[in-house]
Amino acid sequence: MNLTPTEMAIVLEGVGKTFKKSSRRKDSSTLKTEFIRILLRRRKVVEPTWVIEALSEVNLSIPRAKTIGIIGRNGSGKSTLLKLMTGIYSPSKGSIRVNGRISALLELGAGFHPEFTGRENIFINGIILGMSRAELTDRVEDIIRFAELGDFIDEPVRTYSSGMFMRLAFAVATHVDPDILIIDEILSVGDEHFQHKSSAKMKEFRDGGRTIVLVTHDLGTVESWCDLAAWIDGGRVRMMGDPKEVVREYRRAVSSAEAQASGQSPLSSPGLALPELAPAPPMPVTLSSVRLRNGHEEGSPSAFSSSGRLHVLLDYVARETSASAFAVEIRSADGGLLFGTSLTAETPAGQGTATLELPRLSLGEGAYEVLARLAPRDHRETAPLRASLVVAATADVASGPVRPEHRWSVSSRAVAPEASVVAGAVAPGVDP
Amino acid sequence: MGEDGGTRPLYLVAVVLERTMISKIGAVMRRNLRELWQYRGLLWALTTRELRARYRASVLGFLWTFLNPSLNMVVYVLVFGVLMASPVERYPFFLFCGLLPWIFFSSSVVGGTTSVSDRRDLLTKVRFPAQVLPATVVLTNLINFLLSLPLLFLLGTLYQDLPTWHIVFLPIVLVVQTAFTLGLTYSLSALNVAFRDLQHIVANLVQMLFFLTPVLWNLDSVGDVSRFGLDLSAQQARDLLLFCNPMAAVMAAWRDIFYLHQTPAWEPLGAVALLSLALFWVSSGVFERRREEFAELV
Repeated sequence: MNLTPTEMAIVLEGVGKTFKKSSRRKDSSTLKTEFIRILLRRRKVVEPTWVIEALSEVNLSIPRAKTIGIIGRNGSGKSTLLKLMTGIYSPSKGSIRVNGRISALLELGAGFHPEFTGRENIFINGIILGMSRAELTDRVEDIIRFAELGDFIDEPVRTYSSGMFMRLAFAVATHVDPDILIIDEILSVGDEHFQHKSSAKMKEFRDGGRTIVLVTHDLGTVESWCDLAAWIDGGRVRMMGDPKEVVREYRRAVSSAEAQASGQSPLSSPGLALPELAPAPPMPVTLSSVRLRNGHEEGSPSAFSSSGRLHVLLDYVARETSASAFAVEIRSADGGLLFGTSLTAETPAGQGTATLELPRLSLGEGAYEVLARLAPRDHRETAPLRASLVVAATADVASGPVRPEHRWSVSSRAVAPEASVVAGAVAPGVDP
Repeated sequence: MGEDGGTRPLYLVAVVLERTMISKIGAVMRRNLRELWQYRGLLWALTTRELRARYRASVLGFLWTFLNPSLNMVVYVLVFGVLMASPVERYPFFLFCGLLPWIFFSSSVVGGTTSVSDRRDLLTKVRFPAQVLPATVVLTNLINFLLSLPLLFLLGTLYQDLPTWHIVFLPIVLVVQTAFTLGLTYSLSALNVAFRDLQHIVANLVQMLFFLTPVLWNLDSVGDVSRFGLDLSAQQARDLLLFCNPMAAVMAAWRDIFYLHQTPAWEPLGAVALLSLALFWVSSGVFERRREEFAELV
C-alpha cells in the first residue's frame, strides 16, 4: 500500500479530458456507417473542432486528511474533475492515483425505488454506494435515526415529501464511511436543524482524519470549512492554496468580468475562462486593512453597543499622490445593504488612515458585515475588504435592523364622561 | 485475400476478431467475471429489487410469475392447438416446455439491450462495473424462469407426464442457455449505448427468431422443402435450422428433457455451448472496449 507520496490521497498528473460533441455523432454515426467502417478497417476520424476539451493539463495533489474545496464557474470542469477522481470517467490524458476507499456523493438517492419502503431502499442504495450487506445491517438503525423519519421508514418512498426523501438519501450517503469522501453540492439538504446535523456529520468525517473533496458554489463554506481550495477555470487549475486567498482572487475575477460585461462576456457563455487579472494591479493607492473600533477601547471589541460609537478605520498605502474614493458599506448577514457612504479625498504618498465615525451605531442586535473599498480615480473598483460587526443585545424592547434613537411616553388627559364613548379618542402620544 | 466466395466471409471474421483484440480478450473475460463476482452484492441487490418491484403494486403480486406465461400459453394453444389443430400430442404441455425457456431468453435480450442505456442515473453518479446491469436483467429472468418451473411440472402432472431421470441434464442446458443469453445481452447493451436504433431492431429480430425457433411447432414436422425451390432433404432442412439458430438447439434440448424424456442430442447442444463461450468471449471484449464511453454517452 506504500504508494509514492503516501501523504497524498489523490494525485492527478497532467490529466486531460475531452468529450466528443454528440450533435456530430448523431448525423455521422449510425449502425450502418459504423459497420461499414469496421468492415473496411477505417480508423475513426475525429475532427478536432468536434471535440470539447473539458479539462486540460490538470495537476492536483490532495493531501490526506485535508478538506479541499473546489470552486469555479458553471461549466469550468469541476464535475468532470470529480467524475475522474471517482473513476466514473477515465482520463483522456495523464494519470490519476487514488490511495484509499473512495466514496462519491454526486447524487442523492441513487437507485431509490418509489415502491419500496425507506428501509428497503437503505439497503439497495447503500449497496450501490459500496457498502456491504453486513455493514448496512450494522448501520441501518443509525441511518434511520439520522434521517428522522419515524414510522415513515416502513412506508413506500413515493409517499415521502421531497424533504424526507433527501434526508433519507443523505443519511445513507453519509454512513458509507470511506477514506475519501467526494461531495458535489449537496450539503444544503433539509431545514435548519437537519443542516446543523449534516455539518456536524461532516465535521466528524473531517476530525476522523478523512479526506474530503467538496465542490460548491457557497464560497463562505469554502472559506470557513476547507483547509485548501482549488479554483478550476476553463478546464485548468487556475489557483490552489489557502481558501481565503483563492476565494478572494476568484471573487475579484468574477467582479472584473461583470464590470466589463457588455454583450458577449465570458460570464454568459458557460465554461469559458474568466479574464486574466493583472497579477499585481498597478494601483496608486491600496487598502491594507480595515479596523473597527468603539472609540474608547484599544483593539476591536467583540461586540458593539447599539447606542455606542463605531469608528471604521481604513488603512491605505499610497505609492503616489492621487485622489481616491473611500467607501464603507454596512450589510446584513444575508448581504442586504443597510447603509453606505463614501468620501473622495486627496491621498498623499505614504501610509495613512481614513476614519469614518458614527457617533451612534443605531443597529439592532445581530451580525453584520462592514465592507470597505478604496477606488483610486481612473481605476476600476477593487474587491472590498471585509470585517464582521457584531452588535450586542440591548435591554429595551425593539426589533429590526435599525435602532434610531427613540423614546416612549404616554400622556393622558382627563376626559369628560360623555366624551368617552368616542372610540379611539385616546391615543398614546408617540415621541420620536 | 482470394477472390472466391468461400474465403471472403472467413476474412471478414478474421478482421472482426482482430478488431476486437483477440489476444486481450481471454484476460478481459476473466476480469469481467471476476468483477461480477466482486460486485455480487450489488448484482443481487439489483436483482431482488427488480424481482420484487415487478409486481409490487399489483393485487396478485407474485402470482403474476405464473399467470403471465400461463395466459401467454392459453393464447398460443387457442390459435395453434385449437384453431390450427396442431398434430402434436399433449400440445399445451409441448408448448409450455418451449415457451418458458423462450420467455427467459427473449425477456433477457430485449430488456438487457436497454439495461445500460437506461441507467443514466446510476452510471453517471456511482462507480461500478457496468456489466452488472445486463447481468442483472439476465439473472432476474433466470430466477423468474426457475420460479415458473413448478408450473411446468404441474402441467406435466395433469397430462400424466412426470419428469424422468433425464432431468439431470437440466443444469447443463440451463448453463448453455444462460451463457448464450448473457453473451448476446452484453454485446447488445454495449452497442445500444451508441446506437439507440438497436433496441428497436432487437425487439423485431427477437420476434422473428421466435417463429424460427421450434417453440410453437415441432422440429420433426419440418418436411419437404423442395417445393420452395430449396435443394434440401427434410433432414438437411432440420439440421440447417438446428445449427443456424442456437436457440433451436437449446429448445430441442429442453423438449428432450421434459417432453420426449430422452438424452438431448449432444452435437447441436455442444455446438451452442462452444458458440456461447466464443460469444461471451467476444462480447466481454466489446463491453470492455466500450465501457469507457458509457458514462459519457448515456
